[in-house]
Amino acid sequence: MRQTFAKEMLNVGQIDDRLVVLVGDISHFALQAFAKACPGRFYNVGICEPTIISIASGLSHAGFYPVVHTIAPFLIERGFEQIKLDFCYQELGGNLISVGSAFDYSGLGVSHYCYNDVALIKSLPGTQIVCPAMPNEFTTIFGMTYHNSNLTYFRLPEVKHGFNISDDKIELGKAIKLRDGEDITIIAFGPQLKTVVQCETMLRNLGIDFELIYIHTIKPFDVKTISDSAQKTGKVLAIEEHSMYGGGCDEVMRVVGNLMGVNAKYISIPNYFVHGYGKIEDHYEYLGFTSQNVLNYCKQLLGLK
Amino acid sequence: MNKLLRKKIVQTITTGGEGHIPSSFSIVDLIDVLYSKHLKFNSTNPTWAERDYFVLSKGHGCMALYVVLEKFGFITQSDLDQYGNFDGILGGHPDRTKVPGIEASTGSLGHGLPIAVGIALAHQIRQNENRVYVLVGDGECHEGTIWESALVAHNLKLNHLCCIVDYNGSAAQIMPHPNISDQWKSFGWNVLNIDGHTEDEIDKALCTFRSNQNDKPSVIIAKTVKGKGVSFLESHGIWHHKIPNQLEYNAIIEELDK
Repeated sequence: MRQTFAKEMLNVGQIDDRLVVLVGDISHFALQAFAKACPGRFYNVGICEPTIISIASGLSHAGFYPVVHTIAPFLIERGFEQIKLDFCYQELGGNLISVGSAFDYSGLGVSHYCYNDVALIKSLPGTQIVCPAMPNEFTTIFGMTYHNSNLTYFRLPEVKHGFNISDDKIELGKAIKLRDGEDITIIAFGPQLKTVVQCETMLRNLGIDFELIYIHTIKPFDVKTISDSAQKTGKVLAIEEHSMYGGGCDEVMRVVGNLMGVNAKYISIPNYFVHGYGKIEDHYEYLGFTSQNVLNYCKQLLGLK
Repeated sequence: MNKLLRKKIVQTITTGGEGHIPSSFSIVDLIDVLYSKHLKFNSTNPTWAERDYFVLSKGHGCMALYVVLEKFGFITQSDLDQYGNFDGILGGHPDRTKVPGIEASTGSLGHGLPIAVGIALAHQIRQNENRVYVLVGDGECHEGTIWESALVAHNLKLNHLCCIVDYNGSAAQIMPHPNISDQWKSFGWNVLNIDGHTEDEIDKALCTFRSNQNDKPSVIIAKTVKGKGVSFLESHGIWHHKIPNQLEYNAIIEELDK
């Protein structure tokens, strides 16, 4: 996804001379093509994330479309007050593009994990949040939004879900129904679509007719698609690599909470720090982002043993 | 020392029941000279593309800026009369979405300088001549973002950027700067030291910045007095965020009328 990001900056930057990219000493080499094609519009500013956010707001105030790119905890958690006051409160548009959210830097510990970036940005007025997990999801939505008056956060994951969705079905704020079903609605956010797709055969073997909804945009949230599906099936399972507080699963629970007779559960990151290292798969296993866990939750919701 | 603007500051803050009088007195001469003689602006078209920018980073001193904006026609006396009201455009920290001529909403310290760096960078990219001025407090210079920005501005050769430090020493009670001029010099800036209440010195320093030929950003360390102009306000104590009662108000005006 990082290479996709770099290519998209090059593509858009060649068309629009108001695009400026600021990075906090990451992706420097990947962005060299942009730097060469768009002289004066690429800055590897240094290791000073709050300042980079404020500089980007100044660029926005003076008519540019800034992109700030670095690792999620430093971009969002360290720069949060600057995001709140210098972009959102001042009603300035811009783009924050992270890598290394959730536990993508799986071997580096909690300083490099970021469980609540979506919650933080979601809490601010004037923001949009996109969690693409395939290249065309990022390029399609970035192309639609990079120049609007909102602050848009793109959370680029390490793992792609691998499911091909055509460009014409990708739209900011629109959930995508990938499978019709009657028994239960499964809602997958970003890379966790991969986990759900991996258990498709197991679900079918149990005779579970599941409806599958994929979500790449958390704000604005597609309430109608979720609501319609939940009312139809009466049972909802959501799965997302984010803190149990404030992410996409929270949005699902808010929608479902307004509906009568719908049971819902979610798989997300519990409210504690994971002190483990290892590979992403180790974190998946520890936190329950597995096909077997999806299957277990579905069985619980359906009352199956 | 501009007594007329000081009286307006006290009148407005006393009526509105909110504000920082000594901080505003500390910087009002700097802002007045900047707008009177150096800043390029069009108050009937505040977003004029060829304008210079002024960012008040120490937002709590905003009354000094409000009275100057009123003097030059960005806002009206009626706006000042509504200061502090829920429906007014003016409050205890400036809001750029509401007030013509305010370039940045500030309040939390350490934001205005990096925003100004971004504005200066934007005009450098476009090879424009717009200048960017930003006023920070010496207490604000405790913030890490000030020094991050100072390093970035030097590294990017933002020579159309001028930072004015309101060096009233208030924060020195807590954590003094051993040598603030040397600090800025060591970050690669042109440094000018002046008295921040003497019009001629302010004017000359701003002329020096505008005629600067090297590629460094410039900083003007303006030695100021918090509460300058009224003896009992000239301290670092209770008056920082105090609203005068009628007797105190009368005493302030009496001193300013001398």
